[in-house]
Amino acid sequence: MSEGTRGLLLSGVGGQGVILASMIVADALLGAGFDVKQSEVHGMAQRGGSVFSHIRWGEDVDSPLVPKGSAEVLAAFEWAEAIRWVEYVREGGAVVADVRTIVPPGACNDRRSWTARYPGIDVDLFNDRELKTRLIDAAATATELGNVRAANSVLLGSVAAFLDIDMAHWESAIERLVPRGTVEINLAAFRAGREFPQARVPRPPLAPEGFSGPHEIDINHVWCKGCDICSRVCPEYCLAVDVDGKLNIIDPEACTGCRLCELLCPDFAIEIHPPRSPVAVSDANTAGGGT
Amino acid sequence: MADVKTYLREWAMPHVLCPGCAHGIVMRGFLAAIDQLQLDQDKVAVVAGIGCSSRIVGYIDFCTLHGTHGRAPAFASGLKLARPDLHVMVITGDGDGLAIGGNHLIHAARRNIDITVMLLNNSIYGMTGGQAAPTTPEGAVASTTPAGNTEPNFDACKLMIGAGASFVARVLAANPIEMSKVIADGVRHPGFSFIEIISDCPEYYGRYNKVGGGADMLTWMARRDAGVAVPLSEKKFVEHVPSSAVPLGMTTGVLERDIRPVFTGVRRQEPL
Amino acid sequence: MSEARLVQGNEACARGALAAGCTFYGGYPITPSSEIAEHMVRLLPDAGGVFVQMEDEIASLAAVIGASLAGSKAMTATSGPGFSLMQEHIGFATMAEVPCVVVDVMRGGPSTGLPTSPSQGDVMQARWGTHGDHPAIVLAPSSVGEVFDLTVRAFNLAERFRTPVILIYDEVIGHTRESVRLPDQVEIIDRVRPAPDSVDFRPKAAGPNGVPPLPAFGDGHRFHVTGLSHDERGFPTDDGAVAGALLSRIHSKVADHEDEISAAETFMLDDAEVAFFAYGIVGRSAREAVLRVREAGIKAGLIRPTTLWPFPGRQVAVAAKQVDKVIVAEMNLGQLIGEVERAAAGQAEVVGHLRADGEPITPSELVGAVTAAGGGN
Repeated sequence: MSEGTRGLLLSGVGGQGVILASMIVADALLGAGFDVKQSEVHGMAQRGGSVFSHIRWGEDVDSPLVPKGSAEVLAAFEWAEAIRWVEYVREGGAVVADVRTIVPPGACNDRRSWTARYPGIDVDLFNDRELKTRLIDAAATATELGNVRAANSVLLGSVAAFLDIDMAHWESAIERLVPRGTVEINLAAFRAGREFPQARVPRPPLAPEGFSGPHEIDINHVWCKGCDICSRVCPEYCLAVDVDGKLNIIDPEACTGCRLCELLCPDFAIEIHPPRSPVAVSDANTAGGGT
Repeated sequence: MADVKTYLREWAMPHVLCPGCAHGIVMRGFLAAIDQLQLDQDKVAVVAGIGCSSRIVGYIDFCTLHGTHGRAPAFASGLKLARPDLHVMVITGDGDGLAIGGNHLIHAARRNIDITVMLLNNSIYGMTGGQAAPTTPEGAVASTTPAGNTEPNFDACKLMIGAGASFVARVLAANPIEMSKVIADGVRHPGFSFIEIISDCPEYYGRYNKVGGGADMLTWMARRDAGVAVPLSEKKFVEHVPSSAVPLGMTTGVLERDIRPVFTGVRRQEPL
Repeated sequence: MSEARLVQGNEACARGALAAGCTFYGGYPITPSSEIAEHMVRLLPDAGGVFVQMEDEIASLAAVIGASLAGSKAMTATSGPGFSLMQEHIGFATMAEVPCVVVDVMRGGPSTGLPTSPSQGDVMQARWGTHGDHPAIVLAPSSVGEVFDLTVRAFNLAERFRTPVILIYDEVIGHTRESVRLPDQVEIIDRVRPAPDSVDFRPKAAGPNGVPPLPAFGDGHRFHVTGLSHDERGFPTDDGAVAGALLSRIHSKVADHEDEISAAETFMLDDAEVAFFAYGIVGRSAREAVLRVREAGIKAGLIRPTTLWPFPGRQVAVAAKQVDKVIVAEMNLGQLIGEVERAAAGQAEVVGHLRADGEPITPSELVGAVTAAGGGN
């Protein structure tokens, strides 16, 4: 291994465009004059399976594989994939992670039943190792910019903030590699991601351990003052306050039971109830003891 | 865990606090802490002073004393000394606790009397209409500092550590789970425990300083904290920086914890 | 009765408090009342009570109120400037109806004034010192033995009427040592408490005599105490009718029992043509003056109120019909004299013998005052 060789890892699940993103990174690094080697593993990459890509660059790179504990940046396109790969990042390195959660089909046949245990978002995972961490809801940002499909560029923009490569190389790589007609939106998304520190407001801890949504959202409209905190913090966009200040449940099926809205409601106006599991007839007969 | 509403005087709801005021979140977090502790509801006494935060005691179903401006720690001291079996807690605000009541607060801390003080800091006098408080940051606009505050502001936790408080912590309303846990730790702590809870005042502070409504201030609050793990969402970003890496104005968590002799008044010593 | 022994006024106050069942003292040092605290800290622990020296007089009365809500009989003691600081919580205790006893050992004022000299300059402050409309019960002893008795009475009235009671005496009485026999047993009145299992308990709903029963914190009734105007449940309201009714009840529970609370001792008043009206240490000078001027053939008498508030106006009015002249002697520039004039309602001439220079009013002075006023004519 040559001295001065640096490494970067991209990870995600099949169908997310991890490979294209890694091509863009590699292209930008090449443009900046480095020797670049890239290698992806997508042998098992059916839709939803784990996909990752190693990139190493420097004056003279021998191997494309990033050893554990040496990556300068980990770009994770999905939450569980961030956790899976975080040990590859070196001390003081950076993690850019999309907080989107995609429960692997192999682990969970029915997303609604959430039978799989999916890791909760907990930045303490990164605390011990003093990692610089950016958690991003890339899809939300891209949607706001006009096209959810530019989400990966948001993430790449954030990655770029940790690498000292001239913007021009990134932009030309994007122009070259993204589908025609989406250059502008991808460039805009890239810039939004790069300017991350100026962007406002964060993203919640998702999905406490063992959650099994969708949960039931119970709103007390007498106590609710329509302050909008709940709808702003809901990671699943379940809630919205309408023009009259009335809180509405707009996507009842999406509630994962994270209870952020309940915990942050200043007016005790929201309660989240776990899904009611259907009671078997025999159980009902013996448990209730009559009426 | 019981429903926090078990501890609420439901008939008195909805409370008087403004829409988006984080004091309500603190109230909930406090009740969750009481529930975690599984205290006998009849043995919990909560004392408050005057101000928005102090109004909380009207809505929580314990023995509650809504006293005078700034004096809650003194009322609470009398209660605790006379009835050591009670769990005595104080809910106060930054103006209540640090301006008019500063003297009572520091002496309760110095004595290490076994009470828990929760100081809800919203950086302004809310109830009286947004005047500058001892916690209003320099430069911030209040109705009595229209050109920006020119006075330095208190760091309540440093003050309490200096005064001898044996448990000092700072938590954010934006992080209700940690808040409840730290409040519970404070109540468990033998001796004087002080918990500064960073709250907000969208109606005055938010409006005067153009930092938005309750949801905006809550997320803004979360971002100011270096030690908090991704507390909130505007569905875009959260930057988490290891707490040691970035100098920020506020450090959260338990800042002081020490076991010292607890003051129980001058009384006949029971044989051990 | 115990053996006669030499007891200081302030010590008698502490002993009276203990006899009455006081188990909590919170105070702040100030001359000339500090001896009360110094005796309490020695006496209370053995009586199962608790003593605390607070950071100021505001905190002292706050702690006392807290202790009282915890079920204790509680007291604080102070003097002039400290009494000013306590006004805030005298108002709170009145509004929230928390029994407690506040002792004010009067010294020269205003402000720091004459810290070691006697005065009676706080008698109007004791009535109207806190803001807003409120009743006041103020007792004024004039001897060491009476300090003991009235301290007991102060606790009893506080408990009975669920209100703060002020015991007020001047520095001379506080620091005088007299040979007294303090009683071993005194009559004790305890606050009425609600039945432990009372349903729908309303902490501010009038019970017997307009006084609501008061449970202790921690005894099973979870209730709210506030200085805001409140309803019978004890919760804040800005409903004018409710607020007005509350104030009326708080006022009436004292006003309606004026006869029970008010007390004035009369001395040789039956045939008197001139009457002294004097309280505290001046009451003793006036008594001596009565004896002396009677030797000179002047029919003098004395009205010595031991309750200053509610003002014993009826006794004054009865006396005013009989005497030609009332000489109001007080160590201030004229405070209760206005009340005497009002009660006398023109039936007798009311003149003042007023002094506010830190010196007590002597019998000789008062003898002179009678003769200067033309004796009994």
